[in-house]
Amino acid sequence: MEIVINFFASIDAEVPELPSIGNLIDKIFHGAPWASFIHHWSSLLTSVFVGIAIASLFWIGSRSKNLIPTGLQNALEWFLENFETAICDILGPRGKKYVPLLATLFIYILAMNWLTLIPLMKPPSSNVNITAGLAICVFCLVQYQNIRNYGFFGFLYHMAGSPKDILGWVMSPLMFCIELLTQFTRPVTLAFRLFGNVAGEDILIGAFALFGVLLIQDLNIPFGLPLQIPFLFLAMLTGLMQALVFTLLSTIYILLSMPEEDH
Amino acid sequence: MELSSAIAMGAPIGVGLAALGSGIGLGIAVSGALQAIGRQPEASGKIMTNMIIGAALIEALTIYALIVFFILLGKMG
Repeated sequence: MEIVINFFASIDAEVPELPSIGNLIDKIFHGAPWASFIHHWSSLLTSVFVGIAIASLFWIGSRSKNLIPTGLQNALEWFLENFETAICDILGPRGKKYVPLLATLFIYILAMNWLTLIPLMKPPSSNVNITAGLAICVFCLVQYQNIRNYGFFGFLYHMAGSPKDILGWVMSPLMFCIELLTQFTRPVTLAFRLFGNVAGEDILIGAFALFGVLLIQDLNIPFGLPLQIPFLFLAMLTGLMQALVFTLLSTIYILLSMPEEDH
Repeated sequence: MELSSAIAMGAPIGVGLAALGSGIGLGIAVSGALQAIGRQPEASGKIMTNMIIGAALIEALTIYALIVFFILLGKMG
């Protein structure tokens, strides 16, 4: 891998980038139309590949329907039961129907973030379009739940702070504007938090790999120092935390869209 | 003053200030978590989970500043 980095260091790239499948195919085939198509859409193709891989893994795990699970089925069921317990702790018993969506979000984002550990792979969540797509999905779900639980005008009333007395009605335009801004800022922050963390880690790893190459370039050997290895561990930790934060924030947004129950 | 020198002077200060703010915020958050663990060690799992979530949210603000830095880096000459 360091051989190819030396090759790329001579290019005037603004941000240092590790070689990945998209880059390499474009370089090897010298800009043929189908090669630059793959390079341009490499994030989307990688994310589809990750989706198919996760679906196949879970399908294989659920094929043997033993009542006492062993092996892969055991691992997947353990993970899903813990996840369902954690989500229902936040959402209450009505939250069971959101568990498939939230578990899919968590596993998908975790797999995409951790894909950077495999050589020659670029994590798809370092592309802002993919994280924005996920954030828009959550936004659409939350708004649909808001309108379904409160009714359209009830939702506007709830956004204005549910004014009951004269002070509430006076403050309600201000509360409505602030609440509207909050509703629209949430998907933006969701998308940019995930994108910034993963892309930042990717650039950090690329920069340290480039540094490792440039340090011993006078020796004229086709290798570089692997200085980016500690940052791979940091990328693992950041990927796990960001998947967790995305899922928990989506859970909390869904919780905020449910009306409060009086016990 | 040219645009690239202005960006080269201003952008690192912006990132540094964002790092300063998030450093202080994370210090306060982690100190609160550590005190809570010291008071009740058997709840340390739940406390640590919430602390990690809070830390990720605070860290995100620094990452926004880093994104702006990289955008400006592209515009610099």
